[in-house]
Amino acid sequence: MRSSRWLFILIALVAGIGLGLAYGWFIEPVEFFDLTPDTLRADYKADYVLMAAEAYRAEQDPGLAARRLAILGSRSPSAIAAEGLEFARENGFADSDIVLIQELVTAMQAWSGIGP
Amino acid sequence: MRRFPWDILLTLLAGIGLGLAYAWTISPWRVLDSDPVALRADFKDQFRSAIAASFQATGNLPRSQARLSLLGDSDTDAALNSQAQRMIARGEFTQADQLAALAMALENENVPSAVTTNTSEGAVAVGPESSETVPAPPEELPFELTQTPEILEPPTDETPIVETPPVVVNPTPRPTWTPVPTFGAPFSLIAQDTVCDTTIPEGLLQVLVFNANRRQVTGAKIIVSWENGEDQFFTGLKPEIGNGYADFVMSPSVTYTLRVAAGSDIAEGLIAPTCQTPSGEPFLGGIKLTFQQP
Repeated sequence: MRSSRWLFILIALVAGIGLGLAYGWFIEPVEFFDLTPDTLRADYKADYVLMAAEAYRAEQDPGLAARRLAILGSRSPSAIAAEGLEFARENGFADSDIVLIQELVTAMQAWSGIGP
Repeated sequence: MRRFPWDILLTLLAGIGLGLAYAWTISPWRVLDSDPVALRADFKDQFRSAIAASFQATGNLPRSQARLSLLGDSDTDAALNSQAQRMIARGEFTQADQLAALAMALENENVPSAVTTNTSEGAVAVGPESSETVPAPPEELPFELTQTPEILEPPTDETPIVETPPVVVNPTPRPTWTPVPTFGAPFSLIAQDTVCDTTIPEGLLQVLVFNANRRQVTGAKIIVSWENGEDQFFTGLKPEIGNGYADFVMSPSVTYTLRVAAGSDIAEGLIAPTCQTPSGEPFLGGIKLTFQQP
């Protein structure tokens, strides 16, 4: 077999792998389910932080707020809330929402993890 | 005549197969930007609880609806009520109450009674705030529900709901008179029946709670009191009988008073009646109370 033939075969193999990867990653990627909240898109996470902040404003229970935030990952609740605050600021959330999240961040920074 | 390059074609197909195997099984695209609809069921429950707690705090029903729609429940009310039942069973009454209140608010979407509060501070809106000052509407204007800017576009065939980001940047929030929904009108006692049935426990006080749409209400707190005591129980703990069903066993010769905690008529003077079996033997009967929102 001529060497150019082998070259074509090699090119076909690489092209095939490339096509397969493109199809499997971008065109028809694996659909996941039963995911954990830390995989959520950033805007969904920020909205969840806002929910926790709205509830915290009424409940004034930092422990409960921290438990709510904890589902978003293993970082500290204050870090999770701060990330939500940063997203909210960068993406034009209403000032009233930013204030709520800021209050939550402050509460989480002050919260020791002990007590209510 | 040139031979068809089968070897190259087969190599190409083999390459595609290898690529797909790698992309689908060995190293699928890393999940970083998932949608709430893809969450595990227990995390969806926590998401719903947070939505309900937020709703209780803000009274912002459109926003809560938008958030609930992200979870992709085929029947949002049923999902909320079902979760409320599970939480009641686990003794998490506060969260169950919040879920039930949200379910009730969704069912009574045209909130019948609302308290208006000026919420220049408390109004919740996603999106940038307008810099211009818009005067608050005068009080003599008719009250109007205003929907704050929301997360989602209405789902269409072309735009799957899970693809819609929960934050948009083009609304124009303004000071509004935001309604704070209540649980709706107080429940009316529409029926009080004596039950003489030997197949149910003696002295059983049965309560059925319906909303204005004749749908049973889960998680409604019932308060029953008597001369020296008081007890509370909830609808929905026996879903096999009904989501709005609850019961309580009365003692003989004790007079009870019962009401729905969210606000209702008071059923007074409830005493377990004395019934007779077909053979003439006396036994303690029960009472069935039916409450409904008008």
